[in-house]
Order: sequence, then C-alpha cells, then structure tokens
Amino acid sequence: MPETDGAGTTSPPSVLVADDNEVAQRLCKRVLEKAGYPVLIAGDGLQAVDIALHQRPAMILMDVAMPGIDGLEAMRRIKAEIPAMPIVIASAHSMSSDRERFLAAGADNVLSKPFRLADLISMVQSLVDAK
Amino acid sequence: MRQVARGSSRTRILVRRATPFAAVAAVFAVQALAQAEPVVAFPLYLSIVLLASLQPDRARSFAVAAVAAVAVVIRPLAANRDASEVASSVLLAAVLLGVALAIGELTRHARAAASATERQLDELTASDRRLRAALESAEVGLGLSELDGKLIQVNERMAALLGRARDEVLGDRLVDFASPADRAGLEEGLAMLQNGDVTRWEAEISQSKGDGSTVPVAMFLARLPNTATGEPVVLVQETDITARRRADALLDCVAAVRQIIVNSSGVDSAMPALLSTLCSHLGWTAAQHWALDADGKSMRVRYAWNGSGARADGFLHASRGIALAQESGVVGRAWQAGTVTAEIDLEHAADYPLLAAARAAALLSAVALPVVAGGEVGGVIELVSDVRRTPDDDLVTMLATAGVEIGQFISRAETAQALRRSEADHRTMFERSPIGIARISSGGELLEANPALLQMLEHDVDTMRTSAWPDMLRAYDQAASRSQKAPFLAGITDGSSLQVRAATGAGNWLWLQLTVTSIPDSSGVPEHVLVMIEDVTAVRETSDRLSEALEAQRDANANLEKIDRTKSEFLSIVSHEFRTALTGIQGFSELIRDGGLEADEVRAYGGYIFNDADRVNRLISDMLDLDRMESGRMSMRTSEVDINDVLMEAISRAVPGAVTVEFKSDLDPRLPIVAGDRDRLIQVVSNIVNNAVKYSPEGGTVTLSSRADGRYVLISVTDTGIGIPQDEIGHVFERFRRVRSGAAQSIPGTGLGLTIVKQIVEMHGGRIWVESAVGHGSSFHFTIPLAPESTNALQLRHA
Repeated sequence: MPETDGAGTTSPPSVLVADDNEVAQRLCKRVLEKAGYPVLIAGDGLQAVDIALHQRPAMILMDVAMPGIDGLEAMRRIKAEIPAMPIVIASAHSMSSDRERFLAAGADNVLSKPFRLADLISMVQSLVDAK
Repeated sequence: MRQVARGSSRTRILVRRATPFAAVAAVFAVQALAQAEPVVAFPLYLSIVLLASLQPDRARSFAVAAVAAVAVVIRPLAANRDASEVASSVLLAAVLLGVALAIGELTRHARAAASATERQLDELTASDRRLRAALESAEVGLGLSELDGKLIQVNERMAALLGRARDEVLGDRLVDFASPADRAGLEEGLAMLQNGDVTRWEAEISQSKGDGSTVPVAMFLARLPNTATGEPVVLVQETDITARRRADALLDCVAAVRQIIVNSSGVDSAMPALLSTLCSHLGWTAAQHWALDADGKSMRVRYAWNGSGARADGFLHASRGIALAQESGVVGRAWQAGTVTAEIDLEHAADYPLLAAARAAALLSAVALPVVAGGEVGGVIELVSDVRRTPDDDLVTMLATAGVEIGQFISRAETAQALRRSEADHRTMFERSPIGIARISSGGELLEANPALLQMLEHDVDTMRTSAWPDMLRAYDQAASRSQKAPFLAGITDGSSLQVRAATGAGNWLWLQLTVTSIPDSSGVPEHVLVMIEDVTAVRETSDRLSEALEAQRDANANLEKIDRTKSEFLSIVSHEFRTALTGIQGFSELIRDGGLEADEVRAYGGYIFNDADRVNRLISDMLDLDRMESGRMSMRTSEVDINDVLMEAISRAVPGAVTVEFKSDLDPRLPIVAGDRDRLIQVVSNIVNNAVKYSPEGGTVTLSSRADGRYVLISVTDTGIGIPQDEIGHVFERFRRVRSGAAQSIPGTGLGLTIVKQIVEMHGGRIWVESAVGHGSSFHFTIPLAPESTNALQLRHA
C-alpha cells in the first residue's frame, strides 16, 4: 500500500496535521507515522489550506485556535475546493456545544484534545480507508 | 222828569260857560257905541277875565282873556290910529292875557294841593284797615302791653296762642301765661326793657294755654314810644314753634344716631345706645331690636332699652321669650312691608303677639322701623309708648332714615367682624402652620415669613429677607430654567411647584419644595405671592438613596451578567489552555507507558511533558495571583524603591528568546524614590520586557526609560517589534486576550501577564497605557507615585 511522494506514483495515504502547537504536531506525527501514515505539518490556517490544495493529503487533522485564519475558516476554504476532503477537527474546545458547532461547519469528525492515541489512529484509519 | 232835569242842567252849564263871553261882548258893544278908548273899558275887561280865571276850566278862561284882548286892540287897529295908541292897546291886551295865565296857574296849584291831601287821607285810612286786617289775620301772635307786661291789646292769633278769649287776657300780665320755668327769664327781660337797658328782647319759652296744655313759642318784645299817653308800650310778638321743635328733635335724634354709629366699636355696644337715643329724643318709653334668625324665618329680640320704670321690664322680658313670625303684629308687618309701621292702639291690636304683656305694662302705642341693609330687612326696631301716639310724616321719615343707617351700620360691623375673624383665622394658619409660608412682593422681596419657615431655615427675619430668600429665589429660577418653567417673577402659575437646594443658617443643606401661588388684588393683577416651603430633604434623600440603590442593583445585575458571561468565557479559555497543555502530557506519557521507545525518545518526550506541566503550573499560579489581586487579598511589601534599579534588574532577568535583541536604557539619574513592592515592580517590568522581546524581530531594540513626571515616576518600555493592531490596542490588558485573538499564538504565554501587570501598577496608585503602530513597534508606559518624602525633596529641589 505504500505510495511514493509525488503525483502519479503509488504511495501510502498521507495525513495533514494543522496545529500551531509544536508539542501537538510532534505527538501526532510520531503516532500517525508509526501507524503507517506519512504526516504533513501546517503551523497555521493559511499554511494548512495551501498544503491541502497542493499536496492533496488523504485527510486532514485540523486544530481550531490558530494564528491567522482559524481551523474552521481553513476547513471552509479547503472544502470549497475539495468537498470530499475528509477533515477531523481536533480541538481543546471540547464542550458538547463545540462539537455540534464543528460538525455543523462541515467537519467529518471531531477529536477532543487531549485524546487517546488509539482514538486518533482509529479515526484516521476509518476516514482514510473509507476512500 | 229826570230827562228834563238833565236837560235843564245842561242848559245851565251852557249858560254859565257863555256868560263871560257875553259880558266881554256887552262891554265891547258899550265901548264901541260910546266910542270910548279901550283904556276906559279895561277895568271891566280885567274884572271879567279875573272872574273867568277863577273857574277851574283854564282853557275857557284863556279863551275869555283872548276875546277880551281882541276887543281891546280891535278899535285902534281898525281906525288906523297912531302907533302909540296901538301899542298901549296891545299892552292892555297882553295884561289881560297875563292876568288870565297867572290866575289860571295859581288856581291849578291850589287845586292840586287840595286833592293830594285828600288822597293821602284816603290812603291812610285804607292802610290802617289793611294793617288791622293783617294784624288780626297774622299767623304770628301780636299784642301791646305796658312796660310791666300787662296786655293792652292782642290779636286773634295771640289770644289763640294763649288759649283764651281776647277779653280774658287783656289786663293780665304776660308773665302769668309763661310756664313756671320760664317766668323768671321773662320778668328779667321785661325789667330790662322797662329800664331802657334794651329796646328788644327775644326768647323761646313755654306758655300755658287755657286748657292746661303748654305750647312752645318764640317771643319777641320791643319797646315802643306811645305818643298818645307819652308812656312807652311793649310790642309783643309770639310764634308757635311746636312744629319746628319737633323737627329739631327729629334732626337731633338723627344726628345722635349718627354720632353713636360713628363712635361705636361694635354692634353690641352701639345698639343699646341707639335704642336709648331713639327713646329719649323721640319720647318713647322703651325700645327693642328684633334681629332676623339665621334661617330668615323668624325674629328674636337681641337688644332692648327700657327708658321708663319697672313696668316696661315685664314687657321686654316677655318679648325676649318669643320668636316672632313675619306679619305678626306691628313688628311683623314692618318686617314684611319694609316700611315704618305704627300701632296706634296697642291695647286692641289683635295680631300683637305680646298683647298681654303690653297691657300689663300699660303700653298704648308702638311704632316699628325696619332695619334695612342692602335692600333686605335684617331686623326691626320697635318703640313702645305709654301714651297714645300717632306718628306724623316727619317722624316716619326720620325713623325710616334711622332704620337704613342702623342697618348699614350693622351690616358694616358684621362684615368687619367677619373680616377680622377671617383675618384672625388666616393669621393663625400663617403663624401655626407646620409648613413654611412666605409672602413675597410682586417685586420679589420677602414681605413676611412665618415661624415655621424661620425655624426650618434657621434664620431670623432679617437674614431671611436680605440673604436667604434672594438665594432661594436664584435657586428657584435655576431649577425653573432646568425644568423649562418660567422664572419666579416672570410668570407665576398657581400651584407651580419646584424643588430647590438651600442652606440653613446653621449650614445644613436642605431640599425644599416651593409651591408658588400668586394673590391678585381686586383688579386681578398679582399683588403679592405666597410661597409654601416644605422641607422634603428626608423624602428626597430617601428617594435619592432608593434610586441609587436601584441603579446599583441594575449595575450589579449587569455586572453579574457580565461576570457570568466572563466566567463562562474564562472557563472555556482556561479549559482550552489546560487541555492544550494536557494533550502533550497525556499523549507522550501514553507513548512512554506503552513502551518500545528509544532512550533518547523517552528523554525528549519527558521534556515535552515537563514543559507542558510547567505551563499548566504557571497558568494556575497566574490565575491565583490575579484572583488575589482582584479580590484585594494580595498584600504588598511596600518599601522605598529606586525604579532605575528595578529596570536594570528586569533587563538582567530577561528571558533570552529565539531572537537576539539589544537593550537600551535612558534613565533619569536624579529619579526620586517611589514607595512600592520591589519584587512586584520587577515582575511588572520583566513581563513587559519579555513581551517586547517575544514580539521583536531579530536585531530589534528594547529601550527602557525612566523620568520624574510631577508627583510620579514615568517608566517606558519601547520595542521595535510587530506592533499591535489598532483594534487590539484597547484590549491588550484583558485576560487571555492574546489567546482569544489568536495573535502570535506561537509565542508562549499564559495570556494573563499584562492583566497582572495592570493590576500591580494600579495597586501602586499608578496608571498603565500603550502606544503602538503596526510594523513599527510598541511603547508600554506606566507611572508609580513618588514616596511622600520624595515629593518634599523634589519640591525643595525645585525651590
């Protein structure tokens, strides 16, 4: 199943992690790569949109509170271009009202921070495999 | 026979008239026949002319003389004699004519004198007749007496005045007819006339008539010389003055009534005097005043006067006991008719309610005069008499007049009494009112202030008038202008009410409610103004406190809402911060727990966990700090602090960031000492400096400066960093602002640093603010007050 980087070559499906927190970036990168998914990193919303549109990850793990445009705005812009792009909102805003808010904004799923590593992997797997 | 007689008489007259002419003709005939000279016949002619001239008919005597003259001159003229003859005959003729003229004139004078005497005699006789008739028919009594007063002669009127026949009085002395009281005076008068001390004497005396009654007369005596006897006599003239006396009495009575009315102090004192005056002047026995009851349906005796003995007392007493109805008796009829009414025969007046009492008191007549005021009968005055009396027109008129005057007087007195009572009521209200009342002139001056007002404002009348009231007037006008009402003097609307603030004499401030009412004069022009002044301080303060409390409650509610909102927002932010930190801690610790890691991996992950745990710890510390500061539970260890030292310390502690920045300092070497908590101040400066470093680009500059600014030290930290957008600059000191805005999230911090800085500066009594321009950098400035000694030192230095 591994894919090569670059268009046209077969390579494993990559996951874009958009988060301004370096610790969160490292954690996700470490866990997802161990699970077999190459990880792309974006430090803010605009960067996330740019990478999503140009590198076409299999899915996106998107934080909300980021400098510049926030995760929700980034998601809106990405979905506008690639409606089928699976996006999981991973946020420390974890009240029930927040969850509803994110789903209503178009998120495919919501992952509350802090999270169990197994939950992260299974959520990514379910979305990537569904494609 | 009678015609014959008349015819013969006429003939006689003719014969007598023709005779002188015939005589002249006869003489002329003889003279002509004898051819004698006229001189010869002249004596004959002269005789004839003389005789003719003695007759009363002067024309005929001249005619005779003329004929004789012609007879004398005719011959010489006819015979053409010489001039001397003609002249002498003409002279003779002239003599004849002259004689006739002279005799005629003499005769005429003699006759005129005789007829004048005759006429005078006739006139005297007629005059004497007229005089006698006049004397006899004169309204005046006339008579003659001897000097001792013995009557010689009297006219009818005199006899009538004396009440006796003329024969009876002749020979009696005048003094005998005078009433005893006047006799001495009359004797004296006669004595003076007798002595010749006076020639005239007059007096008013009373005379007794033959029937025993008396009559008042005006007597005039004059001493006259008597030519017949040589003895002087006295002319006596008497006039009956009964009517004048009565009229005078009525006038006197009216005058007395007016006098009492003018001088009286009230109805109660005047009425008995009026009743007494009516009785005494008009000769009535008793009088009582019946006054109309309040219901206007009956009259009761209010005042009475008894001018006689005890007999009338019973009658007056009986009168007091009854309420008299209209039309009842003489009083009731006077009441109903509104005119003076008389009861001539009281004994038999069936409608008289006090008949028995009147009989018992032997009262025979009564007259009732209505007491009228404003056209209404308000009472009746009843006069009773123990002799039978028929009031004449004069008395009725007089009583009617008196009734009107007394009525007007009572009405005036009652009005005055009512006014006095009303005035007294109002005065009492004014004096006793618990509300302050001031009377203000139309010019705005205080005329009067009641005791309540003076007490309320703790002023005496003078300070009230000169200062307190003018102040209050100004306050009124200001309050009026605020509430768009007219100023006090411009347009006073009744009942206009305003609240003003005023100081009392003792310096307490009161809220006063002024209610203004203008009092118009009779023409409707505002004459003065009544101001009612109430102390509404308590009410006002209560309502102020109430509205303050309501305001506070509203604010508190708004605050609570805000706090609530802030709290949930805060909670959301804090939980986000914690969860973000916990994400790393939980994730990496899960990796470590699951094992299978390289040693350096474990070390690195342990570092992440430690950093996030540390961040959580700082977050908790900052939150607790802030909570203590905001709730005032943070204590400061205040000492004298040198700010320059604080700045240098902060620079030395600055956390080295990812970039290199250059620190500069611009410190005032003579900076005064401040009073403050040194550690807290270092925390403030470090925080700001770390912020500056965080946002600075590589090679940026952070400048710290200090200088004295009045009673403060001003500290500034200026960087050359990214700056703060204009819409963010007002919020930089708010909690978690950094996190919320998402600005520079990659730069670590709890989001509470500047909030804590602001709290510490304000706890020192200082102020903090920020200036910034995006792309150029930011300047944080804050002030810390000087220590008190420093202030003094500074002043000394300036001096």
